[in-house]
Amino acid sequence: MSQNAEVAVKKPLVKGNHDFGSITKLVSDIPQQQTPTWWYIAFGVANLLMGLLLAMIIYLIYEGMGVWGLQQPVSWGWAIINFVWWVGIGHAGTLISAILFLFRQGWRTAINRFAEAMTIFAVMCAGIFPAIHVGRIWVIYYIFPLPNSMALWPNFSSPLLWDVFAVGTYFTVSTLFWYVGLVPDLATMRDKVKGKVSKLLYGAFALGWRGGNRQWQHYEKAYMLLAGLATPLVLSVHSVVSFDFAVSIIPGWHTTIFPPYFVAGAIFSGFAMVMTLMLICRKIYKLEDIMTIDVVEKMNIIILVTGWMVGFAYIMEFFIAWYSGVEYEKFAFVNRAFGPYAWAYWIMMSCNVIAPNFFWFKKMRRSVYVSFVLSIVVNIGMWFERFVIAVTSLAQDFLPSSWGYYSPTWVDVLTYVGTFGLFFTFFLLFLRFLPMVAISEVKGVMPQADPHYYDNGQTNDQETK
Amino acid sequence: MGKEHQKTYWKSLNELANNEEYQKFAEREFPENATELKDGISRRNFLQVMGASVALAGLASCRKPVEKILPHSRQPEYMVTGQASYYATSMPFRGYTTGVLVHSYEGRPVKIEGNDLHPASGGKTNIHAQAEILNMYDQDRSRYVRNNNEQSSWDDFVAFCNEHFADTDRRIAFISEANHGPTFSRLKDEARNRFPNADWVTFEPFGEENVLNGHQKAFGEKLRRSNRFDRANVVISLEDDFMNAADNNVQNIRRFNEARKIESTDDELNRLYVVESNYSLTGSNADHRYRLKSSKIEAFTYSLASRLSQEVEGLEVFAGFNDGSIDSAWIEELASELLANRGQAVLTAGNEHSAEVHAAVAAINLALGNAGETVEYIEVPTVDQQDQNVRYREVVEAMQNGEYDTVVLIGANPVYNSFSDLDFEQALNQVDTTIHLGLHNDETGSRCSWHVNRAHFLETWNDGRSWEGTLSVVQPLIKPLFDGKSEIEFLAAIVRGEDHKGIDLVQNSWQDVLTGDFDTQWDTVLHDGLLEDTGYDRASVSIAGNFSSEMERAISEVPQTSESDIEFVLRPDPKLLDGRYANNGWLMELPDQMTKITWDNVAILSPTTARDLGIPDSRYFGQTDIPMLSIETNDGTVELAAWVLPGHADNSITTYTGYGREIGRVGAGVGVNAFAVRNSRSPLVHSNVSVSPTGEDYEIASTQDHHSMEGRPLVMDAPIAEYRQNPTFAKDETGIYEGEIDPETGKPINLYSVDHFPDHEPQWGMTIDLNSCIGCGVCTIACQAENNIPVIGKREVRRGREMHWIRTDRYFSGDEDGNPKVMHQPVPCMHCEQAPCEQVCPVVATTHSDDGLNQMTYNRCIGTRYCANNCPFKVRRFNFFNYAREFLADGDDPEIIQMAMNPDVTVRFRGVMEKCTYCVQRISRAKIETKNKTGDSVKPPDGMVVTACQQACPADAINFGDVSDRQSNVSIAKDNDRNYNLLEYLNIRPRTSYLAKIRNPNTNLA
Repeated sequence: MSQNAEVAVKKPLVKGNHDFGSITKLVSDIPQQQTPTWWYIAFGVANLLMGLLLAMIIYLIYEGMGVWGLQQPVSWGWAIINFVWWVGIGHAGTLISAILFLFRQGWRTAINRFAEAMTIFAVMCAGIFPAIHVGRIWVIYYIFPLPNSMALWPNFSSPLLWDVFAVGTYFTVSTLFWYVGLVPDLATMRDKVKGKVSKLLYGAFALGWRGGNRQWQHYEKAYMLLAGLATPLVLSVHSVVSFDFAVSIIPGWHTTIFPPYFVAGAIFSGFAMVMTLMLICRKIYKLEDIMTIDVVEKMNIIILVTGWMVGFAYIMEFFIAWYSGVEYEKFAFVNRAFGPYAWAYWIMMSCNVIAPNFFWFKKMRRSVYVSFVLSIVVNIGMWFERFVIAVTSLAQDFLPSSWGYYSPTWVDVLTYVGTFGLFFTFFLLFLRFLPMVAISEVKGVMPQADPHYYDNGQTNDQETK
Repeated sequence: MGKEHQKTYWKSLNELANNEEYQKFAEREFPENATELKDGISRRNFLQVMGASVALAGLASCRKPVEKILPHSRQPEYMVTGQASYYATSMPFRGYTTGVLVHSYEGRPVKIEGNDLHPASGGKTNIHAQAEILNMYDQDRSRYVRNNNEQSSWDDFVAFCNEHFADTDRRIAFISEANHGPTFSRLKDEARNRFPNADWVTFEPFGEENVLNGHQKAFGEKLRRSNRFDRANVVISLEDDFMNAADNNVQNIRRFNEARKIESTDDELNRLYVVESNYSLTGSNADHRYRLKSSKIEAFTYSLASRLSQEVEGLEVFAGFNDGSIDSAWIEELASELLANRGQAVLTAGNEHSAEVHAAVAAINLALGNAGETVEYIEVPTVDQQDQNVRYREVVEAMQNGEYDTVVLIGANPVYNSFSDLDFEQALNQVDTTIHLGLHNDETGSRCSWHVNRAHFLETWNDGRSWEGTLSVVQPLIKPLFDGKSEIEFLAAIVRGEDHKGIDLVQNSWQDVLTGDFDTQWDTVLHDGLLEDTGYDRASVSIAGNFSSEMERAISEVPQTSESDIEFVLRPDPKLLDGRYANNGWLMELPDQMTKITWDNVAILSPTTARDLGIPDSRYFGQTDIPMLSIETNDGTVELAAWVLPGHADNSITTYTGYGREIGRVGAGVGVNAFAVRNSRSPLVHSNVSVSPTGEDYEIASTQDHHSMEGRPLVMDAPIAEYRQNPTFAKDETGIYEGEIDPETGKPINLYSVDHFPDHEPQWGMTIDLNSCIGCGVCTIACQAENNIPVIGKREVRRGREMHWIRTDRYFSGDEDGNPKVMHQPVPCMHCEQAPCEQVCPVVATTHSDDGLNQMTYNRCIGTRYCANNCPFKVRRFNFFNYAREFLADGDDPEIIQMAMNPDVTVRFRGVMEKCTYCVQRISRAKIETKNKTGDSVKPPDGMVVTACQQACPADAINFGDVSDRQSNVSIAKDNDRNYNLLEYLNIRPRTSYLAKIRNPNTNLA
């Protein structure tokens, strides 16, 4: 970790007077401990929910799309909302690991592993929806550019196709990035664990890491390159997702502000989700020294900033709709706020624009409880944002004769609930078997990592330097 | 196919036939489950239940349609496999016939079109004619003769007749539906002569009897009226829904539109006034409409006559009549219109109004010189001279008293649709021998000692006369599917005790009709579908002697009802009529023209009345649970969902009959049977009922939630004066701004290359003239029949998943509490040149053809539904479930309904998108034929391709053709001033454009 430059770090990123050994122990002990009871319970619940998801998908495929609440004119409902929502959540990981890495934000090391894992699982949840929401899943391969005797290509001008590539790429690169970051820690685990099988498995995935100088040199270069590669993806994936809407001609969808607005929203919800999970984990696993309250505060600042970016976009949409002079556009936005779906709109507004303002206050930013509650509120708000965009625009578009009102069925709801099962199944496995903090990276941002740390017999008080 | 399945298939035919369950099944027409279904509207559930019996079903039908699998070793003449042939026949409907051409594939009729040689049809049809195909392939039709509900046979029945009717002194009551066919009439006379003690009564719940009786009062003769709307400048309808649920409506619409067509600013329009309580289809096309309680129509008529008596002679009896409840401004204005257009106006009243109203209307028409000019009175020689309403009551009372030993019911179903005060069922029980002929073993048939399964008109020989008397033959297109018998064969068996073939009976009658060489003339009649230059005689009329005294009595008896009394009006459903079409899924699922409700009848009332009753006067978005009203009449109570319809008269509630049937997988249990409270004294209206909300809700499936255009330029209309000032008003308002037009091309600025389409001819396009369109919905049914569109059931419609490729949007504008205007707009796929749906499909399943069609490739579609989202007109339809399979492959013998499908059109599978194709199969057929003829060109001559909607439309509102040919009809229509595109600003360039509606308001009433 090239954190050896002279950085005016005001506060230590790791608290509790840790040295390298205690950090390693703190993190690598977790997978080695006996599995706690709560984990089994949580894993059982998650598995049940995942089973529910599977059951809902089988039911859907067996019976047909009609088991969802979709109709004319609302042909996209919860499935697409959930897709966008999960993809949005999946944004935080790459942002933290790639962009913050390039910007040399040392505090990211406390949460990057964690956030990346969350990203991958969230994208997995997201990826389910576009697949199952097609009417004929058995021919879904038509969407891939496969050679065929009819010389038929998919339609490269369709945003749905871009989606397939964007999300696919994002998932691949995120996974790769996560795995590369894991290699040194897997090696640590290999060295720590006692069990034969676990040693073998950690060893296999550690790819023969020995921690040699050359290995570190290659590793850091690779990590840097991957960060560079992943950075545009952070912007591209949600931009492309937003094209699903922006490229269409439906008032309320046909908006050029969508790409930046969606990216900001995605970071907003992704950070909120990381926050929710982190606050639980740091408590349970007693990682408060690494995932410090300072990290919480920094994340809350990002939530506040992106929250206002999203709020700005909401207001801008209204302004442009009015400024365009197109009656259909004007109607679409007024209808959002005061039409039959006004309840959803105001939930969105209060959760996304009003709620984060508590973070103007330092006390609130640094309060674990406030942060926890608000992080959940933000994700509720972001779900409703997608609901408002997808449903209200379709339900009342050009011809009033076709206007309708969409409501989900129990299958819609349970499918969504089921994806939490999938998410938490994987997330709990991650917590149980992998080092949830990037051990080597955290060490890199500790004062002890400074080559001159011991020169003056200093302890960890860098401010006097 | 699994091994077990194979085994079943090959080896167990006998097993299956002897199987106990099979036996049971065969005895029963409807599997038990079907009749037990409480929720008759949930087709999905229902069909799943039916699916359980599929294993038996293959063999379970009593007689499957014969399918010979041997190929023709010698091709029959004129038959080309895969090529449709057309046969002319005629469709009997409530006593008269309309000429139709039936599209038939390999001896299998699949589509009914109008016969353009026939004066009543002119090549056009109405919803009922279109839906008759499905009636024929109705799996619930009665399949065998029943004796005391046990299976019997036609031979047994003939033997029974021979014995039973040998005693010619029997007291027999014949209760027949209306039928003026020569053969039927001949047999009717024979029956009367043979059985001197027999009584014959014609029973039609919504027939023309009141009109005939009215003319009896006015002119001393039972004459039929024929309104010549084509000759009238002014039409005043007193609750006569002549465009919709009335007799001869195809001809009415055609004639009305002849006087309504507008080609240029020089054209004159007729003017339509409608006085009515319910907002009817005719009312929605009116230039002026007066909301009036149905019980006040009589007073209105007399007031009008009274006002006219000041100016013309012959109406003295009405002088001085003033009820005080009628808006005198209206009377004044109508009177001056009528006086200004003497001999050029039509005054007409609805069938359901009393004979006195019709007498007064007839007298006015005579006094104004309209009689013989715009209103023709026709002598129908076969009409029953006695008042059939009175006769019917007498016959039923006599039945009650046990005066008859035999009752013969021909096509009638009085147990269901008789009057509540006559208790027909009870009367029927007093008769020993009851014989019923019907398409279904219906409410009446199942209570009769004999039921004979009737043949559909497409299966039998028969004959008939049109409304104005044109003679035609009904010829069969297919062997009777269930060995049914026509009414003439049935009657012949009763009268003669022998089995006569239909064709012999018909030819015998026609021996007298055809004067020349019989065989040649007969062939011509069959070919043309009619005998030319035949028709009833026009009567010259004069006021009858006792008219004054009759009217004086009537005037003195005009009921005095309070304005605040709530009346309850019972009208025939525009789709199901008296319930005879209740088992027709197409009609059941066709949205009502005004309420847009499917699968139900409701209590229609005005917003004001709703408020008075304490129920909401509007519906919120997505509201499907509608509050119920309990309507207490002297004849019982009905509970109906309260549907608020702007423009309905206040303190008046209308409901439709035809629902609440007991039989049929489609019709059973759907809606409420309003006949239960329809009495014979005042069948149209209960003038004072007590109404209260029940506090319960009822689920209604309506296809249109929102009925305001929100000020958007969707349906463009203007008064004629405005149109003359600015003929391009529609284009001006909907068009794009000048700045957005590319100066080079003169077209809107475009991101894409202008040469997007190859230089190819033809380029298909369509226009829909909103000035002609009356909103009847026949285009929807015609499209459904042509394009194999499934029926999906109430639950799915309620969820907003209706499958119709062309829908008719209905908008209100103006004062909702008063008398809002209504606009109808049929919306099919627009086949946009820059189609937004095509761009977003990830798998190129929807593309543009060289000839400008926006095509759907079902095989390629994976069902992302992105196209449907991106369609600004929302015309795309998605198969959320396997609708086609449910519609066509479930049930006991699905091969019957499968035969109704058009073999040229793919049946769509679950999970794919579909939409209007501009009838691509018809285009391809025309292209092939053109190429065969010319050798190279695939450009059919103008008018050769006719889409199903266009072909059916009685108003001729739809034009289709090649827009690259500037001389084609569609191009000429598109060059019209009134032509405009929907949502022009999107620059998607729809190929379907609209012609604005022109109204002709009376400035004094505006």
